[in-house]
Amino acid sequence: MSANNIAISVTDLHKSFGELKAVQGVSFQVQRGEIFSLLGPNGAGKTTTISILSTLLRPDQGDAQVMGHSIRRDPMQVKSVLGVVPQEIALYEDLTARENLDFWGKMYGLRGAALRQRVQEVLEIIGLADRANGRVGKFSGGMKRRVNIGVALLHKPQVIYMDEPTVGIDPQSRRNILDSVVALKNQGMTVLYTTHYMEEAQELSDHIAIMDRGKLIAGGTNAELVQLVGEQTRIDLTLTVEASRVLPIWRAVEGVAHVSAEDGRVTVLVADSNLVLPRLFESATRLAARITSVDIREPNLEAVFLHLTGRALRD
Amino acid sequence: MIRILDIASKDLLQLLRDPKTFMFLLIMPIAFTLLFGFAFGGFSGGASDTRLPVGFLDQDSSRLSKRLRDLFAESDIIRLNVTTRAPADLEELVAEGKLAGAIIVPNGYGRSLLVNKSARLTLIADKGTRATTTVEAEVIAVAGRLDSAVRTATIIEQTIGNRAPFQYALEQSLAAWKNPPIAVTETTSTIVKAEKKSNQSASLAHTSPGMMLQFAIAGLLTAAQIIVAERKSRSLQRLLTTATNRLHILLGHYLAIFTLIFSQFIALVLFGGLILRVDYARAPGAILIVAASAALCIAALGLLIGVLAKTDEQAVTFSLVPMFLLSGLGGAWVPLEVTGETFQTIGHLSPVAWAMDGFKNISIRGLGIESVALPALALLGYAGLFFALASWRFSTNEER
Ligand SMILES: Nc1ncnc2c1ncn2[C@@H]1O[C@H](COP(=O)(O)OP(=O)(O)OP(=O)(O)O)[C@@H](O)[C@H]1O
Ligand SMILES: [Mg+2]
Repeated sequence: MSANNIAISVTDLHKSFGELKAVQGVSFQVQRGEIFSLLGPNGAGKTTTISILSTLLRPDQGDAQVMGHSIRRDPMQVKSVLGVVPQEIALYEDLTARENLDFWGKMYGLRGAALRQRVQEVLEIIGLADRANGRVGKFSGGMKRRVNIGVALLHKPQVIYMDEPTVGIDPQSRRNILDSVVALKNQGMTVLYTTHYMEEAQELSDHIAIMDRGKLIAGGTNAELVQLVGEQTRIDLTLTVEASRVLPIWRAVEGVAHVSAEDGRVTVLVADSNLVLPRLFESATRLAARITSVDIREPNLEAVFLHLTGRALRD
Repeated sequence: MIRILDIASKDLLQLLRDPKTFMFLLIMPIAFTLLFGFAFGGFSGGASDTRLPVGFLDQDSSRLSKRLRDLFAESDIIRLNVTTRAPADLEELVAEGKLAGAIIVPNGYGRSLLVNKSARLTLIADKGTRATTTVEAEVIAVAGRLDSAVRTATIIEQTIGNRAPFQYALEQSLAAWKNPPIAVTETTSTIVKAEKKSNQSASLAHTSPGMMLQFAIAGLLTAAQIIVAERKSRSLQRLLTTATNRLHILLGHYLAIFTLIFSQFIALVLFGGLILRVDYARAPGAILIVAASAALCIAALGLLIGVLAKTDEQAVTFSLVPMFLLSGLGGAWVPLEVTGETFQTIGHLSPVAWAMDGFKNISIRGLGIESVALPALALLGYAGLFFALASWRFSTNEER
């Protein structure tokens, strides 16, 4: 991997608040044009890390490069390539959506016609063009979140940080936001995303780092992380015939690791359900048995977190 | 740089949206000016001229003695009777009760003032009558005003270099207070009949700038709250993730607060001048200078409070203390002139006292534009101090 492909390179960051070690020795690299997620429970140190990377906080130790600029030596350069979506909604509630975007656009160095045009574009992207002149203070949580994100898009930054942008909002706004994150990536932006929802990390990310108590405890693609636990996809099935009749046959099916039966339900562990499931149906048909229900449980990051920390991701 | 303007106009937009702004900055001070003015008798008293007749003999005929005559002519207590009669005639008139007193400006009076010697007026009056006491007090006050204004002007001339004008001016004015610039000559005569009249506009002339400053300082709170709200809403932190310089953020807020307080001054000066007939119009340039430097000073204090306060409650607490301390100490409620020497000195630790001096030098004391130079310098000095503290604090603060 050449250095040119690296958007963010973090080396051994440390930050304490008094006695509390919020970030202790965090290092990772984000490639250009990818979505990289920091996944961790409350208090893991995600926001502290983001704050350091956006030069709001000075690290006690360590450094990071954002598009080649050091957060310690070139904070202004770092800021100029960045868009930051803070965890809390950081807007002026007594101003309208358009006035907010207008003001923030100016702070990002846009002026005149270019600014007006871009504000309009962003209003469309966040789906609030028809509410542009409403005061942000009167908006729903989801709408505020969208404006909060819109602000960071105004100057088309090369790198965008999004700190838990979907916390506490309705499913529809959430969908809109997740889709727009993918759209940003498709436009070539690099996205550093933090969340404590493993589904989001799983759905969006090219790479994921799992963070807990100020440290990164694992990192890689979703698939790589899942393999860490070595857990397989679990398929639960019910049939119109005795479970005991299919057991020996299914044990012989290629790709099946383990088959067991309990209370009339058959549990099959496989490496790849897409490959194995058709074969199970096929052999059932040959026995003149019908499968009446199928329940597939993919291995997930939840399990990974549990495996690594002994605690659940969400408390 | 242009971001300073962007931030200031954003702040002002927010402030104008807030009805509290108008309440605090315009309606309350106007209401209180009227209330206090009324309480102190600003609207009582009839139209007939009940001022005491006092003779005025100018043996000096200098620029300063003419200035003195003008000052007396504006008095609410003395009705000046300019004359060229001999002193002996005047004594007679006073003795007969036709005049409540007579002022003689001796030859050389103006020169003595300029070279900082104690220049003395002669007042012919009956000892021990109420009218004499009143006239005497007014003559001392008016002569004192001229004296201190001349000294102030002289000092400023001398200290345009790098000497500290504050200390020097303080000592000089203290010395002046110990040494009343008139000498009273006794006559034996019948009692002059004159009712002491309630002073028509002096109380409003005092109340108007007093309330103006009081509420400008109250404006601190509004201003400080913008900054606190910006931090609390995390917009400040977001602002710091954009390529906007910290100093520019601070200057933007400063400009907004200044604009607000300065416009408040202008509105209240207009109200005081046009409706209450406080004599601000005598020297509009000088009033503008005082208003601008007072606004710069108060805005810098508001900025400092906004930077220091972490919560709205703190902003309120931090604003209330200077609001009462500085206004009270600085004579916004009770004129410093009626207090003792020590209190006047202490009072001038408050920038409000300097602003009051500036306004009243024009509106009450009838002095010229040069009389606001020292107050303006003092106010700007405070402004610089407050701004420096605010920016030091703001730049060392870690925003999370
Ligand atoms: N300014 C601060 N002063 C003191 N402690 C802090 C400060 N900011 C964060 N912390 C502490 O540092 C730890 C990490 O906090 P951080 O906000 O980075 O976590 P997070 O992963 O973003 O959590 P969340 O999901 O709740 O946002 C927490 O224990 C938090 O209480
Ligand atoms: Mg957080």
